Amino acid sequence: MNDTLSRFTTLPAKELEALDKAAGWSLNDRELLEVQRQFRNMGRQPSRGELETIAQTWSEHCKHKTFSGPVVFKDGSKVKKYKNLFKETIVKATRTLNRKWCLSVFTDNAGIVEFGRGGKWGLAFKAETHNHPCAVEPYGGAETGVGGVIRDILGVGLGAKPVLNTDTFCFGRLDSKKKLPKNAHSPERIMRGVVEGVRDYGNRIGIPTAAGGVYFDDGYLLNPLVYVGCAGLIPVDKIDKKVVPGDLIVSIGGRTGRDGIHGATFSSANIDEDTSASAVQIGHAVNEKKALDVLMRARDLGLYNAVTDCGAGGFSSAIGELGSETGARVRLEKALLKDTRIEPWEIWVSESQERMILSVPRAKLKKLAAILDAENCEYCVLGEFPGDGRLLVTHGSETVVDLTMAFLHGGVPNFEKQASRRKIKINSAPPARPAGKFGQILKDLLAHPNVCSRHSVITQYDHEVQGGTVGKPLQGKYGDGPGDAAVIWPQAATLDQADFSGFGVSHGFNPAIGRIDPYQMALHSIDEAVRNLLCAGADVSRTAILDNFCAASPRDPEVMGDLVLAAEGCLDGAIAYGAPFISGKDSFYNQSKDAEGREYPIPISLLISATAPVDDVRKALTINFKEAGNPVYLAGLNARGMGGSVYNELHPSGNNAVAPLDMGAAVKLYAGLAKAIKAGCVAAAHDVSQGGLAVTLAEMAFSGGLGAELDLAPAAREKRLTTTELLFGESPARLVVEVVKGKETEFLRLVKGLSVSEIGYVSEEPVLAAKDGGEALFREDLAGLKASWRKELI
Amino acid sequence: MIIEIRTKEKYAKNEEEGFIGRMAHAGLKVQAARLSRLYRVEGEFSRAEFERLGKELLTDPVTEKYSLSQWKPGLKGWRVEVWLKDSVTDVVGESVKGAIADVLGREPKTVRFGRAYYAACGSEPKLKHAVVKTLVNEIVNKFKIEKI
Repeated sequence: MNDTLSRFTTLPAKELEALDKAAGWSLNDRELLEVQRQFRNMGRQPSRGELETIAQTWSEHCKHKTFSGPVVFKDGSKVKKYKNLFKETIVKATRTLNRKWCLSVFTDNAGIVEFGRGGKWGLAFKAETHNHPCAVEPYGGAETGVGGVIRDILGVGLGAKPVLNTDTFCFGRLDSKKKLPKNAHSPERIMRGVVEGVRDYGNRIGIPTAAGGVYFDDGYLLNPLVYVGCAGLIPVDKIDKKVVPGDLIVSIGGRTGRDGIHGATFSSANIDEDTSASAVQIGHAVNEKKALDVLMRARDLGLYNAVTDCGAGGFSSAIGELGSETGARVRLEKALLKDTRIEPWEIWVSESQERMILSVPRAKLKKLAAILDAENCEYCVLGEFPGDGRLLVTHGSETVVDLTMAFLHGGVPNFEKQASRRKIKINSAPPARPAGKFGQILKDLLAHPNVCSRHSVITQYDHEVQGGTVGKPLQGKYGDGPGDAAVIWPQAATLDQADFSGFGVSHGFNPAIGRIDPYQMALHSIDEAVRNLLCAGADVSRTAILDNFCAASPRDPEVMGDLVLAAEGCLDGAIAYGAPFISGKDSFYNQSKDAEGREYPIPISLLISATAPVDDVRKALTINFKEAGNPVYLAGLNARGMGGSVYNELHPSGNNAVAPLDMGAAVKLYAGLAKAIKAGCVAAAHDVSQGGLAVTLAEMAFSGGLGAELDLAPAAREKRLTTTELLFGESPARLVVEVVKGKETEFLRLVKGLSVSEIGYVSEEPVLAAKDGGEALFREDLAGLKASWRKELI
Repeated sequence: MIIEIRTKEKYAKNEEEGFIGRMAHAGLKVQAARLSRLYRVEGEFSRAEFERLGKELLTDPVTEKYSLSQWKPGLKGWRVEVWLKDSVTDVVGESVKGAIADVLGREPKTVRFGRAYYAACGSEPKLKHAVVKTLVNEIVNKFKIEKI
């Protein structure tokens, strides 16, 4: 390779491409030509370290060049141009809303909103994906995904204390019959590894894993999605950070090895049989815990001016980011190494885990070192931030990198991507009445992998550590019902046990709808996340959300079209719900070749993670029926359309229309219900989502060990709505609430004029019975329903 | 020295059923199975010191037993031994290394963590196929199968 590098500025395009492939940089033709042009202008050849640094800095993982680049979207004869898709949708929503309680958005490792009373605390929230590493080595990939997102929280501002981990996974169906290519793991294998990785990292570091989900679809057979999130608390006076020229560059935590080289550039490429094992990272939760403890102590003593995590790209990315204005002078021979058989450029780009970079005033190094020693946390001083805007990296007498920060961070060429709307034929004809009985269909739906109990996954996680998990992932009389949202009382961070302020965290995720209508998918996902928070008793008027997009190759115009439509949905949904985006991430190239050699892409996937304050955690709601005799109400309009429903998977109805979200009606409905919840009128609430209304009612009943006698006749519904759509349709903006009997009058006053109908009452008899006027629909005992639902996934 | 830790038979049903289920998922019928944890400790320690590590550090005396020689579970079939490759960071091994230093006052040269699976089942090729499909990831693991 040295010979090729010595001719870099004169290499023809084909040789450049071959060099890129051999080195694993994942730079495209235009980027390679731009790098060549820049070095030609400098009048010299690049070093390997410089090209590695450029590849890392310009990678999809670090620069998000697809989402933040120009796009031309064609929808029939209509053409819309975006200069920067991300800014014109996601960021625009946040700027338009301009919420004062948003303390830091899009500028740091995580978004921060105000938390609690007195303006002392901020809540930092971030979600990431770790898809490609998990496809190669599920356990290590998941572990390091968790470790990475925790470091994002440690590296936001001057460091937040993590109080909650979240996890949402997408796997291929465990019963899939599709032949896998030689290098692919079975979905069962991937799921087991990922769950164990999340479990071991989260449990060992002492952060509760208490929110998330598991979704099965054969679209994820070759490319699983692993979303990991973290929330933490930070004092508001510790949010600002600034590297001061003259500060020392101090690396704390893990040592540097050859593991994880090319993880960032890996995210810019499809997975194939040549995927290198070195792209796998290995996690060490105990080392990260040491770094966490050091940071919390040193932060409060003001011992450093800035901090960031070593994530994708390692030192190259972290030091480059911190020194983007000041420049950086790095001496790699000072780095603590796991293995001495490592090249200088490898030290520079290695993605060894559990490392944080601090900007430390010289005068404070001694005090910091004392804390590091006391916590048994290794560290090294790698150099300083000089203030000359130049990145100079050496190893002994060898120059590894000598570049201007302006070129590194501003030099990436961006080019216009083509996007077009996917053509989907919609059938809105009423679904045929099923041949089977509704009661049996309900049991089948409860047993579906996307509806059934997740206890075999959830119970592996420690969701109680730190003692603040009020709204638990498993709820109800027997502690095994499906919670809608986690409610956290972060007293382990605030150390204030007299303040019962908390926050809720929930998710919305609907890729089955995305296959039909990506715009509605985004709206449904935002609505679902907000509704879940409402069901937990959170103040949804102060919802903040995260967007995590995953897609196949953006070189496919239809994939880009899906992205454009989903991003537009995000813009409209966020503004309508008054819920700003505070952070997000995207992951592309989630596609591989199947056993027949054909491209096998994932469906467009958008995870919306939402958080909102819970003013008093003692008043948080759960989903289970509480008391016999309490009336049961259905809130929201039952709309037509079976598109994207679980029912359609089991009994293809022919109808694939997606019920559009009426955002205005939903916002009004939730505002009214929020008042009723605050007034103490609601005993239980649960959203209507996968499986439809019948599944929601069954889950509320068997979680509470109480039955219900229901007549759905009063339920608000669209004209010509069929019974199948009423029971099993998944139209948005609906929830079931159990109202406290003595407060029914007040409840009705607070929801007056809204689409809220009484549909029955909670009963002592453990039977769920429903009719629709004169038509009996089903009568099922709770034990049978629960037995169908309570499957062992793993 | 390899210290092998096994769950006492009366508490081992769950882990055995889990293993048999995983093998069944890969198309292999296993009639009976036993599992154990392995710690390969390299260091200048006496047998008595290794005994102490097994007894005081690595074993839960209520539910587990240890041995310094390869366990013979009284089952006819195969023994599968799985380790992380030497080039892969072994987090459990590193933690145990630190713990050994705390117990004995001297740090071993290396500690690696592995697992052994004893399976009464059909042919070695079928077992190997199932092991590769469900138990090990050859990117990070190495393994061997021997007849018992």
